Amino acid sequence: MDSPLIKNVNLFLDDKPSVFALRNKARIALDSIGFPTLKTEAWKYTDIKELINKDFNINTEENTCSHECCHHHNEDTSFIEIRFCNGKLHVEEYNMPEGITLTPLPLALFDDDYKKYFFNAFNLEKHPFAALNGLYLEQGICIHIEKNTSLNKPILIKYNQKDCDNLQLSIHNLIILEKGAKLELIEDFTSASENTYFTNTVNEVYLKTESELTHYKIQKENSKSYHIALNAIKQQEKSSYKQYYLSDGAKLSRQETLVNLDQQNANAEIYSAYKAKKNCTTDITTNINHLVENTNSNQYAKGVLEEDSTAVFQGKIHIAPNAVKTSGHQLHKALYLSDSAKLNCKPELEIYADDVKCSHGASCGELDKEQLFYLLSRGIEKHTAIKLLTDAHLEELLSLIPNPKIKELFFGFE
Amino acid sequence: MSEPLLEIKDLFARVGDKEIIKGLNLKINRGEIHAIMGPNGAGKSSLSYILSGKDNYEVTSGKVLFKGKNLLSLSTEERAHAGLFLSMQSPIEIPGVAVSNFLKQAVNSVRKANNEPELDMLSFMKLLKTEAQKLQISPEMLKRFVNVGFSGGEKKRFETLQMALLKPDFCILDEIDSGVDIDALKTISEGINTLKNENNAFLIITHHEQLLQQIVPDYVHIFADGQIIKTGDKTLAHEVEESGYGKFPSKE
Repeated sequence: MDSPLIKNVNLFLDDKPSVFALRNKARIALDSIGFPTLKTEAWKYTDIKELINKDFNINTEENTCSHECCHHHNEDTSFIEIRFCNGKLHVEEYNMPEGITLTPLPLALFDDDYKKYFFNAFNLEKHPFAALNGLYLEQGICIHIEKNTSLNKPILIKYNQKDCDNLQLSIHNLIILEKGAKLELIEDFTSASENTYFTNTVNEVYLKTESELTHYKIQKENSKSYHIALNAIKQQEKSSYKQYYLSDGAKLSRQETLVNLDQQNANAEIYSAYKAKKNCTTDITTNINHLVENTNSNQYAKGVLEEDSTAVFQGKIHIAPNAVKTSGHQLHKALYLSDSAKLNCKPELEIYADDVKCSHGASCGELDKEQLFYLLSRGIEKHTAIKLLTDAHLEELLSLIPNPKIKELFFGFE
Repeated sequence: MSEPLLEIKDLFARVGDKEIIKGLNLKINRGEIHAIMGPNGAGKSSLSYILSGKDNYEVTSGKVLFKGKNLLSLSTEERAHAGLFLSMQSPIEIPGVAVSNFLKQAVNSVRKANNEPELDMLSFMKLLKTEAQKLQISPEMLKRFVNVGFSGGEKKRFETLQMALLKPDFCILDEIDSGVDIDALKTISEGINTLKNENNAFLIITHHEQLLQQIVPDYVHIFADGQIIKTGDKTLAHEVEESGYGKFPSKE
């Protein structure tokens, strides 16, 4: 299938055979599977026809961000900040403590230590947009935390989309935590423009034995943009992955999280909050593979649907035949503000082992009329009252965020 | 004499198919306290919802004038802006909405509607602290979600706090004494007596004379089958306490 998203462009480092080989591998995979349609099971509720027919450009002129505006340092020293501007990494000297290495992707692509991590946390032939991302493999950062090392503050990756009209932005990050390492990572997508653009990100996350990653993501792209993201996580023994996601933007967004619990006592928790805005589509898809015994996962999603919005929640828990004594739980609660909102909720439990604990639950309802009346009777304007109640619906989930400084970033949504 | 604060004329109303108010007349002037007593199911709480403009309560005929203007054409929030307040029999719990945020939104919405400058966080918190202290509301309580985990007494003290902050001209107190112990009732009554002045008025809905010994009404109305069947002074409340509602026959 031809899509203008697939372009023949000359990219930085195309002349390096190893880099070209990776990009070519992605191209071959995408050629063979093509883009999904509404007949593809994993994409049956999210219509991407409009997106794949968009003729977005690829910026091949620059391979780093050279904007003046990025040069001033953020005053907030609570975080270590990494910045992408219009999809290009703003390269700077990071004063990192020992044991923590930040490597821009072009350098990581040459590093033999990192080579094995590319396209290894997911299967290119099952993820067409990740394959599309691989085609343009160039921008991204590799975060590597040495054995038993932890940072005293979180790393914040800021993606500023401010001057990216009609661009396709592809970002591919590697996050590698060695044995016993710990990290808090925040990804913050904001757009200070009315541009139409397409963000396509892939994070490949490798959690070695006893390592812990708390991964926060705030998606506030503008209402004309498209946002497709894959977080692919591979977990070793006793490792822990926690994800907190807020979807509060984009005309069409899909956050897919693929977790492979490869070794015993690995634990994954995924918390998602979403606001499906008027005429927008928000898709949250998870895929948790319990591949060995004694692995645990928990998923909780809460959402609010405005008029004429579409929300999709697909949660798959797969338990392999030998994966006994595992537990996998899933819960989804939605609040719809209008009858014209559309919610598609698809839990999938594939259980091939006995002696497991699994559950799923889904509910959806309207605003509580008594609560609304109480607020109105105190003089609070209707739109403010509705906002208070919808925020309250998401508050239960966001209150689970352990770090108060990070919690602040999640609140104050539109 | 100046115009009444609230005037209800020949009011008929229903909820769904059920007629609940059947020809009600009531006039309340500034500076007055009125009490409504009556058996369960007489339509007392319905009256309070009709006056606050709750959905599903439909006025079929009659008029309600508030400060001389048609109250019934206003939305619930506009009635609050105009100075009407309903202290609910069972205040609603709203998990996820913090007390201080709720109060600040309410105070500033009312101020804004009345062309008064909105309060910034600092001046609001100062005001809140002062008023909360008077009602023995702990700072800890202000950090919780609206009415969540509040005891019966705390819920009613919180309703009283809202009155103190919003300074309405007309307050309907729907069984402010229910679920409240004797000490909390004293705090609440004292709070309300402090709020009372010659410019505002109260309509107290209750079953018990005890409340009316602490907040003394100028008029007591017996309400049955959707209308007022007898009006008197505070001694009428005592009569009810002694011998029940049975002796007051419904009007035909």
